[in-house]
Amino acid sequence: MSGVAFAYSRAADVADAVARGGAPGAAFVAGGTDLLQLWKAGRATPTELIDVYGLGLDGIGVDGDELSIGATARLSDVARHPFVVDQHPLIAEAVLASASGQIRNMATVGGNLLQRTRCPYFRTAGMACNKHRPGSGCGALDGEDRHAALFGAGSSCVATHPSDLAVALVALDATVEVSGARGVRRVGLSELYRLPGERPDVDTTLAAGELITRVLVPRAASIGRLATYVKVRDRASFEFALLSVAAVIRIDAGTIVHARLVCGGVAPAPWRLPAGEALLIGQKPERGVFTVAAAAAVEGAPPLPGNSFKVELLRRALVRTLTTIATGS
Amino acid sequence: MSTTETIATGTDTTTGTETTTGTETTTGTETTTGTETTPADSSERTRGPRIGENAPRPDGVPKVNGEFAFGNDMWIEGMLFGRTLRSPHPYARIISIDISKALAMHGVHAVITADDVPGQKLYGLEHKDQPVFASEVVRFHGEPIAAVAADHPETARRACRAIEVEYDVHAPIVDAELSITAPPIHPDGNIFRHMFIRHGHPDSPESEGVVAVEGDYEIGMQDQAFLGPECALGIPLEDGGIELYVSTQWIHADREQTAACLGLDPEQVRMTMAGVGGAFGGREDISLQIHTALLTLHTGRPVKLQYSREESFFGHVHRHPAKMWYRHSARADGTLAKIEARLVFDGGAYASTSSAVLSNASCFAHGPYNVEHALIEGYSVRTNNPSCGAMRGFGAVQTCFAHEAQMDKLAAALGIDSIDLRLKNALKTGDRNITGQLLSGVVPVAELIERCVAHPLPAMGEVGEMMGRPGGAGRTADAHHIKRGFGFAIGWKNLMFSEGFDDYSTARVRIDEGQNGPVVTVHCACAEVGQGFVTLAQQIARTVLGLDEILLHPADTQVGSAGSTSASRQTWMSGGAVQQACEAVRTQIFASLAATHGVDPETLAIQDDHIVSVDGTFSIPVEDAVANKTFEATEVNRHVQTVRLDADGQGDAHVSFAFAAHRAVVDVDEELGLVRVIDITTTQDVGKLLNPRQALGQIEGGIAQGVGLAVMEEIIVTNGKVRNASFTDYLIPTTLDMPTVTIAALIEEPEPGAPFGAKGIGEPPTIASTAAVAAAIRNAIGRDITRVPVRPQDICL
Ligand SMILES: Cc1cc2nc3c(=O)[nH]c(=O)nc-3n(C[C@H](O)[C@H](O)[C@H](O)COP(=O)(O)OP(=O)(O)OC[C@H]3O[C@@H](n4cnc5c(N)ncnc54)[C@H](O)[C@@H]3O)c2cc1C
Ligand code: SF4
Repeated sequence: MSGVAFAYSRAADVADAVARGGAPGAAFVAGGTDLLQLWKAGRATPTELIDVYGLGLDGIGVDGDELSIGATARLSDVARHPFVVDQHPLIAEAVLASASGQIRNMATVGGNLLQRTRCPYFRTAGMACNKHRPGSGCGALDGEDRHAALFGAGSSCVATHPSDLAVALVALDATVEVSGARGVRRVGLSELYRLPGERPDVDTTLAAGELITRVLVPRAASIGRLATYVKVRDRASFEFALLSVAAVIRIDAGTIVHARLVCGGVAPAPWRLPAGEALLIGQKPERGVFTVAAAAAVEGAPPLPGNSFKVELLRRALVRTLTTIATGS
Repeated sequence: MSTTETIATGTDTTTGTETTTGTETTTGTETTTGTETTPADSSERTRGPRIGENAPRPDGVPKVNGEFAFGNDMWIEGMLFGRTLRSPHPYARIISIDISKALAMHGVHAVITADDVPGQKLYGLEHKDQPVFASEVVRFHGEPIAAVAADHPETARRACRAIEVEYDVHAPIVDAELSITAPPIHPDGNIFRHMFIRHGHPDSPESEGVVAVEGDYEIGMQDQAFLGPECALGIPLEDGGIELYVSTQWIHADREQTAACLGLDPEQVRMTMAGVGGAFGGREDISLQIHTALLTLHTGRPVKLQYSREESFFGHVHRHPAKMWYRHSARADGTLAKIEARLVFDGGAYASTSSAVLSNASCFAHGPYNVEHALIEGYSVRTNNPSCGAMRGFGAVQTCFAHEAQMDKLAAALGIDSIDLRLKNALKTGDRNITGQLLSGVVPVAELIERCVAHPLPAMGEVGEMMGRPGGAGRTADAHHIKRGFGFAIGWKNLMFSEGFDDYSTARVRIDEGQNGPVVTVHCACAEVGQGFVTLAQQIARTVLGLDEILLHPADTQVGSAGSTSASRQTWMSGGAVQQACEAVRTQIFASLAATHGVDPETLAIQDDHIVSVDGTFSIPVEDAVANKTFEATEVNRHVQTVRLDADGQGDAHVSFAFAAHRAVVDVDEELGLVRVIDITTTQDVGKLLNPRQALGQIEGGIAQGVGLAVMEEIIVTNGKVRNASFTDYLIPTTLDMPTVTIAALIEEPEPGAPFGAKGIGEPPTIASTAAVAAAIRNAIGRDITRVPVRPQDICL
């Protein structure tokens, strides 16, 4: 731990959490599965911990035309919720591919979306890292770069976002509901994340003290659509993604009319591949089409020496995901 | 735990430990540990397991229930907490160390550096080249610079941060090959050992066969990944000495090295084993022993030092990464004509056991095969990478991966079945190895191969549920993406220490009258690190003496050295010492019967818990014969003398050899580079099964480590810096990643000279399992795999 004294309290309600969450040194804690690791590594030094686990934001259900998942819903509950399994299996697949059973029993949806990068330099105290302290340098750029990003990185930071769930949710056009000092707002999940640019230390567009209260998935995102999640990792039982792909397509009269290709583990945020999506629209769902689209999707990805293999691996994973969807196996 | 000065360590409930703390002496603990067994206190006596029977581990249930006291659970009133400051750089000159701010902090009792080491400044298991604290130069990422004792672990941590060290950072030497010729990074030079083994006439034209294959092989740095991080507790003694409780593999070697650095006589350092949570070679070297002792003596207070998981990765040695070039040439009929190899082992910053590891790698470099000629050149080299030393398999793992890949390659080039090629060249009793040593013991290579491959393959059947497929949970590989592959490998290594090392173990056995009859106390310093000496010592004592109540005294330095719990040696060495001490006691019992009953002691034997005369005229229960008497004997067991290899790598360097074969079945998703190890079928040469349940545990555990090295376990070191010092990032197989383990045969052919004919069984399961998995992956994808651990990009690109 940081060794700095800290206060701990349970938030009484959302208003209380939001009122106190913006103070310097304040941090929300949900399952704590990521925050505690960062704290131990000296990469988070909260002085006021506001526990939001008990806020009752763990409901999962239908709200109008949307699936609503509370921010403190535990990953294991999400993965086995009948509505999720039935109507949005992509979410269940991505969650079941995340972490281990024990961690999923503790980890929450909000915490999962806001977990920080696994970059080993960021996770080790004392190492140069712009995400920890802008201007201190980036250890990964000329060091261990197997896990580094293919897309969206800047010269300041090449880290990737580790969430599996976020990849699936972006493919489903999800939004998040956020409460803050200025009230409640909704933001598209893909707009929640920001690229490193000049401020690699800031991962999201959330203002200080803003609390994610729930995630909303448009029902239409899944209805009549085919989707699957494919994850490539170094250990089968549990491990972060080396890379992953969430794909959603809708086929009408034999041609693809809607496509989302989103990949994980290769960018600072879940990364959409619009060039690949465009080449699918209007085409037949066939392997040849998928191969062309996948090749276009990964084109121009500028690899570092240690992660160039991920370009080809990603291309293959895209083809695999799309053929799996199209053939149903 | 009581609230007084009670130390939960390897103490036994009958005698207790006497812990002098300056205020009062308390005895006994209430916590069971790895070295303790509590005799049944009920008057009804149960018959305990003898040799050859399943003996449950006395620490098994307490461990599962969370009641076992590991080293980290040690606690004593008034103790301080230690912490080590480590170098963030792999190679740097230390310009200055300023401890004044740390020392001034409230709650800090001591801050010590190299200046505070009263005795030898350097230590080492084979060669003293490692500073207790770096003072001028740091040579690896994580090298200790200073240590702190404080009233709270957090104070100690903050004090470490307050120590100001100024470095002049140098570019590290991280490539072992380049280090051979690079400017020395240590006064002792960069080469730990450079050796040759010349067998036959490898330079003669006749040594060349008609078909040759070549290959370059590489193995990554594996960690022992034991679950219980290092821990020690030091207590100052009034005579100026120290009492140290440590979770370690060899307390006497720890004591020698610690005493030398403290400037004390070894007798002034009293050591006791604390509960160990796994070792696998990683506790053979000193880690925190000397630091704890220094802090204890410096403060005059008890000090506990324990590593976090992260620090543990920096605090112990690892398995040597290696690069190996091989060339095999064969006659047309498959006879191995010549094997050439060049081995470069990266030993990291300090010597540890690099020299012996290389010797092993070289001695077993040809595999368990006859070969007419061989030329093996080996280097173990100093670099600015983390130090490497002992790990299960000790050099033989690396070369097995290479020689078995070569055998498959050679078979393909010859157009011969790879199993037939192995059988044709298999070593057998009476052959000589490439160091010229006669293999006089049991060498069942052909039988191991035949019985392993003859075992039915697991049914192809339905590809299992998601978790059983490459890629694991979630939807990654479907049945039609999967290719199944099969691979075979066999490996061997020595048992016991080699090359002239004076290797022995000591055991004291005593019979006293207890509350419910006679109690046998076995006192041996053998470190129980999971290998099963706790059950074995009792089984041996019961078998030899025919008595049931056996108490294992804590392993400490109040008895002579038992040597290291490594090299698959403790069953032979310490088991043998216990057997001999029991036999000496038995002789005393017979002599006492001669005096009281007028029987000829030469005619007596113990059978079915009775002492009987050969002619059947005399019989008395052992219990009655020893009632109210005391017997005691101490015996030292030494194995046959070995010799150091000569300049041509020739000589009888080893005592005995053990062999194990593995057949791996893997499912590979070639497109995405994912592997699932489905099954490992094994045969092993065990001599005699002493505790079948324990043997199964050793085999399954050893295979887990072999599979881990094959497909995931690697310490990532870039430019000398460790990148994954955590169990989130250093991947080890979980139960979900484990294949089924099928034992096709355990060959019980007694080894001459071994107690009960039993061979050590701890290491062989790890040696060839890695090679077998790699072979199976090659078979599945039809392409070469020359490096382990195998990563997705090695398969699919
Ligand atoms: C061994 C291991 C393996 C893992 N493997 C995977 C994997 O394969 N795939 C994967 O996706 N993840 C993986 N994870 C990460 C895991 O999913 C996250 O740690 C977890 O989801 C975080 O949730 P939490 O509730 O514990 O968050 P916490 O640790 O409590 O919080 C994380 C961050 O989110 C903030 N926060 C939490 N809730 C809110 C909220 N409602 N509003 C605003 N801010 C909030 C906190 O302030 C903190 O900064 C793994 C973790 C571990 C330890
Ligand atoms: S990639 Fe980003 S997180 Fe990693 S070291 Fe560089 S700046 Fe830090």
